[in-house]
Amino acid sequence: MSTPDRTNLYRPLAHRESAQLADVLERVLDKGIVIAGDIQINLLDIELLTIKLRLLVSSADKAREMGIDWWQNDPFLGRGDQNGALEDRLKRLERAAGLDGERSGRDD
Amino acid sequence: MSERALYVYGVVPRTTPPAVFEDVHGVDPSQPVVLVDDGDVAAIASAVRLDEFGEGPIEENLRNPGWLAEKARAHDDVLAAAVGRTTVLPFRFGAIYRNEDHVLDLLRKRTDFPSTLSRLAGAAELGVKAFVDVDALADRLAAHRQVDEEVSAGRAYMQRKQQARELDDELERFVNERAQQSHDRLATVAGDACVNAVQPGDPSSRRRMVLNAAYLVDNSAEERFRSELEDVERAEREEIEYELSGPWPPHNFTGEAEA
Repeated sequence: MSTPDRTNLYRPLAHRESAQLADVLERVLDKGIVIAGDIQINLLDIELLTIKLRLLVSSADKAREMGIDWWQNDPFLGRGDQNGALEDRLKRLERAAGLDGERSGRDD
Repeated sequence: MSERALYVYGVVPRTTPPAVFEDVHGVDPSQPVVLVDDGDVAAIASAVRLDEFGEGPIEENLRNPGWLAEKARAHDDVLAAAVGRTTVLPFRFGAIYRNEDHVLDLLRKRTDFPSTLSRLAGAAELGVKAFVDVDALADRLAAHRQVDEEVSAGRAYMQRKQQARELDDELERFVNERAQQSHDRLATVAGDACVNAVQPGDPSSRRRMVLNAAYLVDNSAEERFRSELEDVERAEREEIEYELSGPWPPHNFTGEAEA
């Protein structure tokens, strides 16, 4: 079905094992053509959630092994402020994503 | 039994054999992935339940990071099945239609899809991330500086603080410059390239991401891209570590302008 030489070069599905959740989220939730289907989805919520998920995922490499409970406890808020570093990163990330401007206007 | 809708992952040329997707599951794992075609393009779709993906329920589910993470992976897995076998134009998460007719309407309206698919033909997305060991780098940069120990303790303290600030700036400049240089070199081998925001790391970790880029690389140029990356890595061996990922569906190269 597939062209053998191409399959060989590109090894389809081979990267699935190692694809990191943070990379998948970045691509699937932030990139790609935006299609407004019949069901309305609040993309801003998704972006905020992505930022949160990214922080969580990057803070613990083994996010995949961690159950949903771990996510639901919202450790982003619960783990405390480590000298504001996490907050700074979130702010920087939001700025990069153009979120702060949309929501509250640039105040820095 | 809940009512159904169609979740759409992206589009492929109509000539794509449906068997490309026979080994993957949809965002509802019980549902097969099918092609809905019209004219030159076909939509990659699978059925979803409205009690999971309908207007109210999906709002609820989106607040659950575990749910979203699982569905995002499924979305990417479906698109990834097409990589290397056909050309695929990825949609962002969450294109849901009430029925097949509405999907066909979309395909008819978006007359830009065929030309975008042609642009992406024969290429795939590769991801490159670069990392530095912040502490090691800071140590090396700091080795060039010294505090004058002859002065009073108070002044030495102030000097140290001042130098720490300067060191931060220097480190920032250094990594930005190197990251940009690496990216520029890799971009010469790619058909298209883009730099994304670096992903945040664990604040307590010494490892910091300094580049998060994506490249649209032609099949025929993949080996050249890899060897260019090896060259870049060799040049920066002391301080920068690179990670290659992919091939991905070309999420970063759909031509959608950045917000």
